[in-house]
Amino acid sequence: MTTPSPNSQHDAKETLDYIRRTMESASTYTAVSGWGLVFSGVVGILATWLAWLRAVPADLRIWIPAAMISVAAASVANALKARKIEVPVWSGVLRRVFWVVIPVLVAGALLTFALEANGATQLLPGTWLALYGAGVAAGGTFSVRAIRWMGVVFLVLGAVALAQPEFGLVMLGVGFGGLHIGAGLDITWRHGG
Amino acid sequence: MGSVEPDDLDRLIHERIRLGIVSALAADDSLSFGDLKTILKTSDGNLSVHARKLEGAGYIAVRKGYEDRKPKTEYRLTPKGRKALETYLISMESLLSEARDALEKK
Repeated sequence: MTTPSPNSQHDAKETLDYIRRTMESASTYTAVSGWGLVFSGVVGILATWLAWLRAVPADLRIWIPAAMISVAAASVANALKARKIEVPVWSGVLRRVFWVVIPVLVAGALLTFALEANGATQLLPGTWLALYGAGVAAGGTFSVRAIRWMGVVFLVLGAVALAQPEFGLVMLGVGFGGLHIGAGLDITWRHGG
Repeated sequence: MGSVEPDDLDRLIHERIRLGIVSALAADDSLSFGDLKTILKTSDGNLSVHARKLEGAGYIAVRKGYEDRKPKTEYRLTPKGRKALETYLISMESLLSEARDALEKK
């Protein structure tokens, strides 16, 4: 057997590393904007405060606009980050994230209207948190670790809110407010913005 | 397993950009010209030349079309290309495994 020269060993290692890095950048969605999440968190806190003022924890007139503003702002922030770090704004991996997350969010919307129609609004905060957490944790498998863990914590908050509906609004504030801000700051710190 | 010589490697995908194209397409079902250009951080001309070579060898398939009235080129890895990458990876791993064996014998 011929002993590989130190050069060819080094080349092989470097080549395998290049293949790994290339495959990672083609299959990982890295353009998650931490600042977009921080903004969503601020919107979440404002929505929690408004819902508390109105004494209606799951007031759809507050939470639906809050969700729409957050999604729009996060999408713009993600697109800007993608441009900044020079990765595709709309790529195959983002299409996969989309197909994993959207069905869960649609299920959340259907359950919202079903629970609202049947007067079980006390279950809405837990349902929103748990389903959002499930979608984020699943979509997060294609992204940075902070996103996966954020999804898992949302699921836990959802479980608490479903078990103790009287804490629903607090859990909404902790999740859509505090957790978004915390995960957003972590991403800005570790992943550059 | 016999030792791996540089000549045993598939020269077509040993070249850096071509290896990058094949690796990226192995990780994603299909990628556009723009996606590949961004992932590999290379120029239009360089990417075109290397993609054409891989297409000529049947390692990648190209689909040209339009999106929002703009021309769009999509690339996919063919079964032949996937097999070539697998063989290439086995060769590289063999090279490292031989190096480890040689180190243990010393």
